[in-house]
Amino acid sequence: MGEEEEKRSSENGVESKEEEQDEQENNVLRFLDSLDSYLVLMDSLSSTLRQGWMELASARHSMGASRINSALFDLKHHNAATSLEVNHHDADTTMQQTCFTLCKWASPDTQNLCSKEAKLEEGELLQRKASSPQIRHRGASRSSASEEVQEKRPQPYGPPVTVDDQVQKERSKSLSVFGALVSPKLRGAQLSFETALETLVEIANIRSSILRAHDQVQEGMKTTM
Amino acid sequence: MANRVQVPSRNSALIAMIADEDTITGFLLAGVGNVDLRRKTNYLIVDSKTTVKQIEDTFKEFTTREDIAIVLISQYVANMIRFLVDSYNKPVPAILEIPSKDHPYDPTHDSVLSRVKYLFSAESVASERR
Repeated sequence: MGEEEEKRSSENGVESKEEEQDEQENNVLRFLDSLDSYLVLMDSLSSTLRQGWMELASARHSMGASRINSALFDLKHHNAATSLEVNHHDADTTMQQTCFTLCKWASPDTQNLCSKEAKLEEGELLQRKASSPQIRHRGASRSSASEEVQEKRPQPYGPPVTVDDQVQKERSKSLSVFGALVSPKLRGAQLSFETALETLVEIANIRSSILRAHDQVQEGMKTTM
Repeated sequence: MANRVQVPSRNSALIAMIADEDTITGFLLAGVGNVDLRRKTNYLIVDSKTTVKQIEDTFKEFTTREDIAIVLISQYVANMIRFLVDSYNKPVPAILEIPSKDHPYDPTHDSVLSRVKYLFSAESVASERR
């Protein structure tokens, strides 16, 4: 009996060691994967920013240096139209991962139209998304087939105020700092910097996972020593 | 149960910037500019007249403000206050080093990568195991 117990406990010990090793390998893989994504995203950020600077320089060339200048920045009290949502994920009791979500063109007065939708930006998709709660409400008792037909039908009371309209409004508000009539290149620069922002938020999330994976690898190294 | 994702806090926060004029202009066009009631902005334009002290103070201010979640800093500016950037280790606000027009991104200077790069050195890992 004693021998059997000893054998079983030694088998359990081997199994738990193997599990620990597997976990450690997973952590290392996650760490390397995050690092790789970080560098790839940084590369993409560099090229997006380069494009943005180029467009900004073209706009300055066509509009004149005095019209695109930091002296024109709005220094009156106003809230950021694009902000972040910060969530803390407690995947573990000791290690916390922070998750950032971009809230584009959602100043406090238009907060209800926020923006995870604005992220998608494709007009059609946006329109469908913005109107979907209504359709669901009206067609609640109908079959799914008739709901599909309903969705394709145009709205009888004209185009609703969509997230897209709101985004356009906020975009022009931001451009109006440099005058009512601006170069299309400036609009191009605005889009490039918006893309850069999206990439930056991804980078911030990857950074957070790099640091978390790094802490886990370190922890694993201490326990295996 | 321990692996269940919890979301205890959820709040809106700003993106702050310490960079050259064109980079700031671009991000302001993208809507990140904020001016509070005391007319304090969430950005610092760095030019030839900006002193290191000003950059240091702004960096310290941005990293202690509770309404800021990400601080974007041009890598060449971060190099001027490297000791401060490297010693910062809080998760929020997250410090992101970005390239600038005249200075491309250099991974060897990045504070995140230099914090973790020792894991790639076989000698350091071996010495820790010893």
